[in-house]
Amino acid sequence: MATEVILPRLGQGMESGTIVRWLKSEGEPVEKGEPLFELDTDKVTQEVEAEAAGVLLKIAVAEGEVPVGQTVAFIGAAGEDVPEVAPASPEPGAGHRGPTETASPAETSVPGTGLAESSNGRVKASPLARRMARERGIELSGIRGTGPDGRIVAEDVERAEAGGPSPAPDTAPRLWTGTGPPVPLTNIRKTIARRLTEAWQIPVFQLQASADMTRVNALVAKLRERDPEVRVTVTDVLTKVCAHALMRHPEVNAEFGEDAIVIHSHANVGLAVAAPQGLVVPVIQRAEEMPLRVIARHRSDLVGRARENKLRAEDLEGGTFTISNLGMYAVESFTAVLNPPQAAIVAVGATEERVVPDQGEMVVRPMMTLTATFDHRAVDGAPAAAFLQTLKESLEDPGLAL
Amino acid sequence: MPELTYREAVRDALSTAMRQDDDVFIMGEDIAEMGGSMGVTAGMLDEFGKERVRNTPISEMALAGAAIGAAMQGMRPVAEIMYEDFMTLAAEQVVNQAAKLRYMSGGQLTVPVVFRTQGGAGWSPGAQHAQQLEAWFVHIPGLKVVFASTPEDVRGLLWSAIYDDNPVVFFEHRTLYPIKGNVPQEIEPIPIGRARVHREGEDVTVIATGRLVHESLRAAEEAEGEGISVEVVDPRTLQPLDEETLVSSVKKTNRAVVAHEAVTRMGFGAEVAAVLQYQAFDWLDAPIERVGAKFSPLPFAPVMENFVVPHAADVLAAIKRTVGKA
Repeated sequence: MATEVILPRLGQGMESGTIVRWLKSEGEPVEKGEPLFELDTDKVTQEVEAEAAGVLLKIAVAEGEVPVGQTVAFIGAAGEDVPEVAPASPEPGAGHRGPTETASPAETSVPGTGLAESSNGRVKASPLARRMARERGIELSGIRGTGPDGRIVAEDVERAEAGGPSPAPDTAPRLWTGTGPPVPLTNIRKTIARRLTEAWQIPVFQLQASADMTRVNALVAKLRERDPEVRVTVTDVLTKVCAHALMRHPEVNAEFGEDAIVIHSHANVGLAVAAPQGLVVPVIQRAEEMPLRVIARHRSDLVGRARENKLRAEDLEGGTFTISNLGMYAVESFTAVLNPPQAAIVAVGATEERVVPDQGEMVVRPMMTLTATFDHRAVDGAPAAAFLQTLKESLEDPGLAL
Repeated sequence: MPELTYREAVRDALSTAMRQDDDVFIMGEDIAEMGGSMGVTAGMLDEFGKERVRNTPISEMALAGAAIGAAMQGMRPVAEIMYEDFMTLAAEQVVNQAAKLRYMSGGQLTVPVVFRTQGGAGWSPGAQHAQQLEAWFVHIPGLKVVFASTPEDVRGLLWSAIYDDNPVVFFEHRTLYPIKGNVPQEIEPIPIGRARVHREGEDVTVIATGRLVHESLRAAEEAEGEGISVEVVDPRTLQPLDEETLVSSVKKTNRAVVAHEAVTRMGFGAEVAAVLQYQAFDWLDAPIERVGAKFSPLPFAPVMENFVVPHAADVLAAIKRTVGKA
């Protein structure tokens, strides 16, 4: 019997994807593991590999948007009959899922998506794969299983750790079409729109504080002088300082759920990056554990790849807090919209010389204004204020956070 | 190194022990003039005489009981049970007496007896003359169980079985008697309870006994051609089991196939699978595959017999399932 090629779920929260183009044509032989088609998701564009070997008998969906789990092609023996494909409706109840939200059965009973979730929501993985994922801190739910029945095997964990399926080659057509109205919505634009609309429903409040950046600037200058290879930036110091403050005030490193508030044990700090295809937020995992130079290397890699549209799904997952920095522009301060399900985001304005009082004198200092937005369902004003104060104090005396 | 057949290797162990030790003797149905139904003891009557190469009446229970009695009296008898199938007739003596007496006497008695027997399909013997019943005896505390697959192993292990102070059920495989293999000049005892790694590999461990050791080695060759590196391990002793060797091999390869000619259901492989899943749970990357005979009495018709018992192709298919290439 012909094997169905099913639109895989490449990342958490993915509900559909857009087939950009097929890399094989009907009648062409296909090896298992060979790239079959290019798929544009709300986060990345990547090649989808064949799960079975044989002949590509029929392409059911040549291009366009397809819900996860729908049959898009058939692979089998040459000349084999293929069943008729009924156009699948989007999965029932497939709402957006946050990275740490537990999947409910209704959302996950998608046979053969390649994601190793069985109908009871349990991820199908070999004991070895489970142990490896546990030891390496990798979420199994985000990994595509290539074993029998979509089971996650050791190789899949290794692949996920090494960086997932290879990104689309540079020859792939850019989805960003540049100038000229109207601009059709890309998946990523749709995602931005949907998520921000969602975020807008959340009751939020803002707190603002300004920090004297004299010492941060000196620190950054010194680190650059010492090690010009690793160009540490103010953003890196901010990342570190935020991670430190989140560890001191875990109630901010939180996520509001229907039945409970989840407090995350690591500070996975997302950085809002203006990529050509739109806003993306790659995440620096466990920033609290990293020295500044390591943060700088990660940031440089993530931002670089974001600008080249080469981020992978896992680069974007697991964030617990976000930094949105418009300091490079002439923006004094601004408020950022929450990045759900995270409970807080900080908006960073430009560092500018301001006259400030110092022991009765007027002095000129490089000042930076931070505006933090909090999900009031999860965080109250006082702990939020304490968090912001730690942030300010650590920026004025970065040694406190290092 | 001399080359012996498996049959000659068994005979060599028996004869050498009998030459050096008056306590060792053999008994069984038609083992004297006829040399046993499989010819294993051919010629031994001439060398040792009928006091030490004893034909018995056709009563497995009687001959097993006599051997146990002699062992309790300080002899080291080796009793041949012509077919494994007839172990069912000897079972009362083996299971209820031989296995229990040392324990029940608080160590005052030992029963250093060996029950040699053979079975195995591949020559159309039908349902009553080729069963593989080793699992029955592995289940009995107080018995040691050996199943050797090569001339070298069968000679070295039989030697250890003869000189073991506990009752040993010693399984031979009918179709292995003619196979040849190099053996050391002098008999080198092979300790009971030690597995043998026949072939090293990286991707999957096949734990096989008896004829299936050879089938598994063939399957491993074929798998190699397809880029799958297979380790083949023969436990050789089923009781006590060399768990350490099996577990460490599977921890290395992360995948396991157990293979024997006996029916899969409640077979020896089930026990091996249980040991592996418990001791190597966090190392397993695939379900443990089991290869064995289909759950059926063995048919006479060669084509049907062939269908029921496992071969190299079955092992290869199981290997491929474990690496997801089926």
